[in-house]
Amino acid sequence: MALDTQTIQTNSSVDADLADPFLGKLRDLIYKISGIYHQEVKFYLLASRVRRRMAAVGSGTLADYYDRLTTRPNRDAEMRSLLNEITIGETYFFRSKPTIDAVSKIILPKLMGLNIKKSLKKLKIWSAGCSTGEEPYTLSIVLLENLTQKFKDWSFEITATDLNENSVTKCKEGLYGEYAVRNITPQMHDRYFTKENGLHRVKDEVRAAIKFERLNLQDQTKMLFMKGFDLVFCCNVLIYFDGVAKKRTVDHFFNGLIPGGYFFLGECETLFNVYDQFRLVHFPGTTGYHKPGPGEPAGGSA
Amino acid sequence: MKLITTDLLRRRIGDLGALPVMPSVLQSLTECLSSSAENVNIDRVVELISYDKSLASQVLRMANSALFRRRNEVESLRDGILSLGIWRIRDLVYSCTLPALLGNSKEGIAPTIFWRHALGTALVSQHLAQRLAIPNVEKFYLAGLLHDLGILVNSILFPEQFPAVLKLAETTETPLYDVEMQELGFSHCESGRILAGHWKLPEDISGTIEFHHHPPLAASHTDLTCTVYLADLLCRLRGLGYGYYEAREFDLAAEPSWQVLQKKYPAAAALDLALFTFELDEHAIQVRDLVDTIFSGAPVSH
Repeated sequence: MALDTQTIQTNSSVDADLADPFLGKLRDLIYKISGIYHQEVKFYLLASRVRRRMAAVGSGTLADYYDRLTTRPNRDAEMRSLLNEITIGETYFFRSKPTIDAVSKIILPKLMGLNIKKSLKKLKIWSAGCSTGEEPYTLSIVLLENLTQKFKDWSFEITATDLNENSVTKCKEGLYGEYAVRNITPQMHDRYFTKENGLHRVKDEVRAAIKFERLNLQDQTKMLFMKGFDLVFCCNVLIYFDGVAKKRTVDHFFNGLIPGGYFFLGECETLFNVYDQFRLVHFPGTTGYHKPGPGEPAGGSA
Repeated sequence: MKLITTDLLRRRIGDLGALPVMPSVLQSLTECLSSSAENVNIDRVVELISYDKSLASQVLRMANSALFRRRNEVESLRDGILSLGIWRIRDLVYSCTLPALLGNSKEGIAPTIFWRHALGTALVSQHLAQRLAIPNVEKFYLAGLLHDLGILVNSILFPEQFPAVLKLAETTETPLYDVEMQELGFSHCESGRILAGHWKLPEDISGTIEFHHHPPLAASHTDLTCTVYLADLLCRLRGLGYGYYEAREFDLAAEPSWQVLQKKYPAAAALDLALFTFELDEHAIQVRDLVDTIFSGAPVSH
């Protein structure tokens, strides 16, 4: 799921790190390897995550830690541990407003205008690497909000997959704590959640259109059957794959989308130098990837 | 609403004699800077700016803000000119002088929003030009800063129609230019061009003002017009627009303006557009802070 931006306890060593040029070098290295970019406003978060790894491996300075990530024999393993540390953390419903706005205001109307969709009147969405379910449930609510108001004869189906069996079980349970619903307005809560022993359970209406499955994105055979999607979301999952696996996975996503479909990564991830069949498109406050539809220019901008 | 033709627009502006007068410090500064760079009389420039104490202090504050600061703090205007360069000081004087022109208009666009967009477009134009290795980048800032001068004209000269146009653009989430053409029959491009003529701005700047919504129509200075067009769009999509949601998708690589630049400047091929957007977001935060401090008069924190 998307990067965790919750406030991290600050301490003096993190303060000192902010002035250390090696923090910028680390940011660039992480971007090069994972495609995750930390803006300077998020350096605090980066520094505190790096500090945790430094403590774990007994590294005293950012320069030394940078060295461990670039020249030491076990550098790849350490980079994986660091990426784990960076992407860890609870997520929540309605996390990225710009992406939700882009889907509701721009993408859905466009998809529903495609000839191929007009006859079927059904939208298909895939949340790949859905973690504990906040993303697919959010999408389901967004779709319900949009379709019930203006397009009553349209339906939708969300496929939510994760490698982790426990995550899939948690998804199916649909029971969440306060943190997960922090962005949910009281009206939205009334409509789509019920309270249960201090926790929040998504209503059946929200889960009705979602299919939860365990899926390994590296399973080449199963991936071939993931077809006909209008929208695919895959947030902070690709970072765990090497270059070849990344490209192969994105290629599956591309082939799984209908012409004219859209693909979204985590908010700081990019496909630069990974895959070039998609077109990078800008929406207010967010970017996505577009599979060219009929009459649209071919890819090459990623 | 009754459409206003360009002729009518011209007459209306002429009749009223209400066009904003170019601030005198800018007039004198422009004359002073019209000689070649090595012949510019630095003492005269310092004198001109120092004449207005609040302007001088704003210029210094801006010179020391995160967006413009070089390694050392600028303590005097003379230092500023020597370390930032004469063109940079000219840019700062323009940036600090123009907000006052909109100061009295209560209807229409909010001055803070207008100047965030102007300053943002100025910085992004210059940054983009640098990244593409376009020669003579010093004019890109000013062209970006002034590209929407026509909005200022429309706000001042059409206090009844223009706020309604803005409101309509906001409620329909449509680009302002389209609503101006539909409701007024002219856009800020035409009215901006008239003010640019009145102020005797150089041809490259007036051309950008006139053609920044249709760069392919510009007969000359296409680098400048195309860059400002793209910077304008990027700013509007990354939170430095006109203060409302524009429901639009923007494929930068498919833009004719980008293609013009890409053909001429090979550096474009290597530019990571997603990363460029992330960097832009960092700038956007700084631009907001800077404009807010200029308007509130509070000192810029270092």
